Amino acid sequence: MATAPIVIPENDPKNPVPFPLPRLAGMDNVPPHVPKELIRSTGLPFSPEFNENPYEFFPRMHETLPPIYYDVGPMQNAWQLIKHEDAFFALRHGEYFSSASSTPFPRDPKDYFYFLPIEIDPPAHRKYRAIVDPLVNPQAVLKWEERIRTLSNQLIDAVIEKGECEFTEDFARPLPVCVFLDLMGLPQDMRDQFVTWVVQLLKNMDPAKMIGVMKEIGDYLNTAIAEKRRNPDEGMISRIVHAAPNGEPLSEKEIFGFVFFVFIAGIDTVYATLNNIWYWLARNPERRHEMIGDPGNINAQVEELLRVFSVTFSGRILKQDLELRGVKMKAGDRITSVLPACNYDPEVFPNPREVDFHRPRKPILAFAGGVHSCMGAHLARLEIKIGLQEWLRRIPDFQVKPGVDVKYVPSAVVGPEPLPLVW
Amino acid sequence: MPLVIYVEADGARHEVDVPLGENVMRGAVNNGVEGIVGECGGGLACATCHCYVDAAWADKVGGPSSDDERDMLESAAAEVRPTSRLSCQIAITPELDGLVVELPERQY
Repeated sequence: MATAPIVIPENDPKNPVPFPLPRLAGMDNVPPHVPKELIRSTGLPFSPEFNENPYEFFPRMHETLPPIYYDVGPMQNAWQLIKHEDAFFALRHGEYFSSASSTPFPRDPKDYFYFLPIEIDPPAHRKYRAIVDPLVNPQAVLKWEERIRTLSNQLIDAVIEKGECEFTEDFARPLPVCVFLDLMGLPQDMRDQFVTWVVQLLKNMDPAKMIGVMKEIGDYLNTAIAEKRRNPDEGMISRIVHAAPNGEPLSEKEIFGFVFFVFIAGIDTVYATLNNIWYWLARNPERRHEMIGDPGNINAQVEELLRVFSVTFSGRILKQDLELRGVKMKAGDRITSVLPACNYDPEVFPNPREVDFHRPRKPILAFAGGVHSCMGAHLARLEIKIGLQEWLRRIPDFQVKPGVDVKYVPSAVVGPEPLPLVW
Repeated sequence: MPLVIYVEADGARHEVDVPLGENVMRGAVNNGVEGIVGECGGGLACATCHCYVDAAWADKVGGPSSDDERDMLESAAAEVRPTSRLSCQIAITPELDGLVVELPERQY
């Protein structure tokens, strides 16, 4: 049966408006074009079954699910892609897959803004990336190396004599927050406040409470933006505030949405990744020693750990009807690339469960791909690398505190916490 | 500034002055040369900045600069040839003034 074509509006960054299509959720809201045999309820990523052992759940998806299926859940219904090839296809074809409405954070409809550049499709998104790329490209981030090393050691200094720590609070969360503050040009005395905001915003499932926290963060960021307007510096906020692509300065809403997005994107993801890695290291002493004994291979070690411990998903919305692997999807359908599962695709990474620090290098999806490929990827790699180097140098032997049952908490970013360690 | 000449698969030529210290990938991306994507930003993580160094320049530019580049080239979408490089790994130096690189038909 023919249906009226759905027109997905291009987001106009100068005139932000709420996305017109609702998020469908639940079995009562499955569109009629979805074949019954492709409907699943995987429970990803909030169910107890998933959080029992996420990094066994992801590789198993390739053994138990069709490559493309329609996932029905309490928060959202969407097609899910678990093949490496399919996720790259979705991420690289903006003509089919729009990233408008890809960020679930609630905003006031009367004072709407877009998270930039993530919610803007190519080619318009490029002008935003060009503003910050010079601060976060692989060469540029090298200038942070000594600073990150110093910060890592300060955090280790604070706990090493105690013989134990809660890794999340004592290392994984403050490290990216400190780096973020430096990168943005914000004072380090805001560290605890930012840590609190991260937890309140990103570990909160209640949209009403989220709005309150977002207002508080937004007010602070607006003050910082105003201050950088008066006193320019080398930091990212100042760079965004004073940018004028093609001679045209960004509007206030563009600046705000850009600065806010960097905050959301760069903290939670890093600390979840660190927690995953340290949880694994704590339980695998022989692998720890393998890493310590092969310091020249640290980059490959980081890349492989990022492959097996990816933490996020990538949402898109179809702009036009599309058939993929024989599955007919329609304009307006939501699509989620299950990036951590794609990194266990046995067709690309043979024997995918094995953590192998000598795999040939291939594109991984930890940082998504395509034009919206994570702009902080090189900084994140550097933070993980230096964190590993310094921690393993000073605390080579550690384990999960005996008697503690480490749990994964339901979250859109996959990581265990709390993570009490002893040495 | 050294000049880099990008020749697209359809023959279109772009002559671009690229600052010293930059690389061949960024010279393209920052100047609207569409045959290079460079989606990961230059970190040997995507294989979308594949180029063929012109035969006359191949010796001066040299082959892949690391095992990672060699591995990553195998993920390139277009045919890999003896002068294939990932352009993010070719740093712009005074010696490369006039460099000619050909771009493949597709990057993914």
